[in-house]
Amino acid sequence: MRAFNKLKQVVSDILEVDIDDINENSSPDNIEKWDSLSHIKLVMAIEVEFNVKLTPDDMMDMLSVKLIKMILAERLE
Amino acid sequence: MIEFFKDRVIETPANYAKTLLEISPVKSQLSPINIAFLSSYTSEILNQYISVELAKKGYFSNNYFAPFNQFEQEVLNQGSDLYNKNPDVVIVHNMIEDMYPDLVVNFAKYNKTELESITQQITERHKTILKSLRERTKADIVVVNFSAINIDDVGSVYSVIKQQKNQYIQDINQKLLSLCNKLSSCYSIDYMDMVYKVGVQEWVDRKLYLMARIPFTGQGQIEFGKILAETIYSIKNQPYKCLVLDLDNTLWGGVIGEDGMSGIQISEYYPGNVFKHFQRTVLNLRNQGVLLAIASKNNLNDAMEVFQEHSDCLLKESDFAAMEINWDDKATNIQKIAKKLNIGLDSIVFFDDNPVERQWVSDKLPQVKVIDVPEDVMLYGKTLYDSNYFNFLTMTEEDKSKTEMIQQNQQRAELSENSKDIDSFLTSLNMVVSIGTSDSMTVDRIAQLTNKTNQFNLTTKRYSTAEINKFIELGDIVLHLSVEDCYGEHGISGVAIVKKSGECDWIIDTFLLSCRIIGKKIESVFLNEIIDIIKSKKASKLYGQYIGSKKNHLTKDFYKKHDFDLSDKENGIWEYDLQKISEAIDFIKIKRI
Repeated sequence: MRAFNKLKQVVSDILEVDIDDINENSSPDNIEKWDSLSHIKLVMAIEVEFNVKLTPDDMMDMLSVKLIKMILAERLE
Repeated sequence: MIEFFKDRVIETPANYAKTLLEISPVKSQLSPINIAFLSSYTSEILNQYISVELAKKGYFSNNYFAPFNQFEQEVLNQGSDLYNKNPDVVIVHNMIEDMYPDLVVNFAKYNKTELESITQQITERHKTILKSLRERTKADIVVVNFSAINIDDVGSVYSVIKQQKNQYIQDINQKLLSLCNKLSSCYSIDYMDMVYKVGVQEWVDRKLYLMARIPFTGQGQIEFGKILAETIYSIKNQPYKCLVLDLDNTLWGGVIGEDGMSGIQISEYYPGNVFKHFQRTVLNLRNQGVLLAIASKNNLNDAMEVFQEHSDCLLKESDFAAMEINWDDKATNIQKIAKKLNIGLDSIVFFDDNPVERQWVSDKLPQVKVIDVPEDVMLYGKTLYDSNYFNFLTMTEEDKSKTEMIQQNQQRAELSENSKDIDSFLTSLNMVVSIGTSDSMTVDRIAQLTNKTNQFNLTTKRYSTAEINKFIELGDIVLHLSVEDCYGEHGISGVAIVKKSGECDWIIDTFLLSCRIIGKKIESVFLNEIIDIIKSKKASKLYGQYIGSKKNHLTKDFYKKHDFDLSDKENGIWEYDLQKISEAIDFIKIKRI
């Protein structure tokens, strides 16, 4: 749960949305600032904050907060 | 740094993003600055780092990132977004691998003729880009130079091709640098130097580069933002003038008064070599024009013995522009140094290993920059550089010999004490004043003087090289003055800008002398020359302006003393009756050059 809150915080910082408005369904479809450039920023920020290396496939698959959470859980194992 | 940044941790990309959002409300505490970025990659990714790092330096930046690879389109078209954004600084970062992908990864494919042709193309292209920028905007230009990073071959074993490639890129960078030096207010920064700091493996991320054409990692972007902010700050602000140093445990190990000549640590071997190494760093600053001074609690004779007799002590008495070695407190001594060198306390940096002394000076003289000296002596030099107080982006010959000039001045001051009558003293100096109009050789020095002269400066108007060039283009008169006397040359140390205002009227917009030549009636000679020049232009009126500042009190009555009449009190405008004949000063020879 703590990791999820941290993830929400990163998404909120990078995509300029209120942390309370972020949930598992948050995605480029419902967050205005989530464009391709912000997506890269988000991936970079996640790598640093969680100290993980993500693969190109991870980067392309991270299409919602739920998917990010799943991929992150895998990498953090 | 503003209160906002106190105790705030800004280390990760997310920290930067968050900080960027939170800066806006405190923007009134920062000076606005417009940055335009031209690059061969998606430089927008740098936005938060540039903005946050500039905010730390006191600027609120408005960043414009041109679409990537649109150099010519943005630069050659006067109506482009770049110019519409009215930039204060334009950053140009064209990566060589974006122009010639083979060059970095497949260098072996090229023969000599092809390489020469590429060099030619790159330099010509940048000549056009930079010259067009220079002609169309007053902005300072910062060019990031080229690098040959191929993450795959870094650290691989000896390869002739790799060395040839590195050499080739260095040669192009050399050409780029000399191109920048020829243009005014155009500076080059070294990309590889940033990469070295972070390390190549940390700087490049294959995924970012191959998926998004972004040439650096988050850590690289943070570093890049820091360097750009430091560079912009250094362009917009003059470096500090004087470094005041302590002696014991700063310039040598141990205490000379207790340990004696043979006991102090300064030698070719550890631990003495650590101090010797630091002395080299200090000398490097001195040789770039930083005035060195000493504030030390010691017996003068003990300290002087080290400078005169110790063969490993690289710093000599003559390297210091001022020495206060006594038992007075250091704040008092620093004030004495400032007075002696005729500089403000706000242009002094203090370096002392003793935290108590540092605290004392900070408390008593808040204008002085006190360096937070680490306990580890091996880090002294790095700390000095990291302070960024002495970044010289331009270097003139005058800067390099500043200490000698100050010392000659002190000899003159001693002569003055012995001399009874001021005019006979001045006569004995055998002064020759040379006055010339600005040209490409002198314009940088002229701009530099307008930016750093405070005391004898009638209007304290600060101009960039580009602005000065504009004046010349418009037909204004830009004069520089240099002085030679029996002790040596002063180099260019006076500037006057006389602007045309209306048909036949002229106004002295800028009139300044460097403080080391004031009090010798040189100012009167300079003004007389201006009057002569103006008369020869068939002028009907000559005005002079005085704008008071915190520091130029000395010049308050300058125009009054020289027979000008106050014509507009509110704007400090004085008028000179061109029919008058000014008082001749016969002990100064004048050369028009």
